[in-house]
Amino acid sequence: MSDCAAPPLAAHDAIWVYAIRHSGDHAGLAGLRGIGRGQIRTLHSGPLTAVVESVDPGVFSAEQLQDRLSDPAELEALARRHHDVVAAVAALGPTLPFRLATVYRTDERVRGLLDQQRDEFCHRLGWLAGRTECGIKAWADPDSLFTERGTAEPADPGPGGRPANAGPPGPADRSGAAYLSRRRAELTARVEGQRLAARCGEEIHAALGRLAVAAHRHPPRDSRTDVDEGLMVLNAAYLVETAQLSQFAESAQVSAAAAGALKVVVTGPWPAYSFADGPDALTCTRSLALRSPRAHLRRTSR
Amino acid sequence: MTRAWDPAPASRERLPTHPEPSSLVDILERVLDKGIVVAGDIRVDLLDIELLTIRLRLLIASVDRAKEMGIDWWEHDPTLSSGARDLAAENRQLRERIGTLEAGRAAGSGSRARRAESAVTPSTRSRKSSQ
Repeated sequence: MSDCAAPPLAAHDAIWVYAIRHSGDHAGLAGLRGIGRGQIRTLHSGPLTAVVESVDPGVFSAEQLQDRLSDPAELEALARRHHDVVAAVAALGPTLPFRLATVYRTDERVRGLLDQQRDEFCHRLGWLAGRTECGIKAWADPDSLFTERGTAEPADPGPGGRPANAGPPGPADRSGAAYLSRRRAELTARVEGQRLAARCGEEIHAALGRLAVAAHRHPPRDSRTDVDEGLMVLNAAYLVETAQLSQFAESAQVSAAAAGALKVVVTGPWPAYSFADGPDALTCTRSLALRSPRAHLRRTSR
Repeated sequence: MTRAWDPAPASRERLPTHPEPSSLVDILERVLDKGIVVAGDIRVDLLDIELLTIRLRLLIASVDRAKEMGIDWWEHDPTLSSGARDLAAENRQLRERIGTLEAGRAAGSGSRARRAESAVTPSTRSRKSSQ
């Protein structure tokens, strides 16, 4: 168990953990700088290696770190640097990325984690071998979906409601009942458009899920992000065989077009962030209610 | 939505690709929400940060871009600015100091039993103790 050449550590150091991979050749990480601009080091324990950086414990104390992470510009810098290192590690082979801001006091504590979770981490790394994470985002325009597809499968317009696609009322039709009917039709169109947009996302996800080893849907982004681009209907990550990555991206475009999406964006290949919890975690999905943006806003808006 | 939509995207076989560099939001979504979560030795409450990223998701691909657009809400957001945190700490210190001072006065008037309680609601307690 020999580690990369590193200066002796102070008693109260701070060790930032980027990722875990199989022990092996880490020459590809030479010269790489991390979030504190320090040398990236490796810590070995048996079959596993943690990729870490010693950071200034004063600068990376819990309080300092909290403040830095709460500043958007600092957060961006930290997130990008963390990601750059994780991506460099992932280029060497199967990698388990760590969540931002995982900091230990000593190298021994990190090795302890490797020892403690050895079987589990090896299991996950084996599962990720030869596979990569691909991000797919898709947008749709509810209005045009309704115009194009709402007619083919009209939803129940409600008791006494006129079909939303019946066209504008004639000039003579100015009664209150006609107004209410028109309003109801507009509402139906909007609701139906939203429903079709949601279904568009489901369709793409289902089609891609069949091609992927595993799939994970990220929380949808606030639609205000996408004012110019329609409504985001899919924001997901797929674990795919690396050899089939380009075919997968191609399939995403085809599926999105077939589902009536307006635009599709393929991102990645990513380190397997969304699948770092391994195959066993996929059956027990985390509580969406607790993790949805709205839940956060409620909790913090006291 | 005023953009000129493609009138019939479904009529084409595939949509064009939009290659783009990893956007900040895509990265944050992964490095904050995903990845291995273990309890390190230094604990950071990511709740505030997740809230922050949710707000970042509203508009922007990068913080620099946001500043260019004149978006700087975090400068004034009491839950996110470190200035507000300092203020809260200062408040707490002042309250403690008042508590100590009030307790000292109460003790001076011979009502030692009230001393411990004075930290809770210093002003009312010391008023009562001086009666």
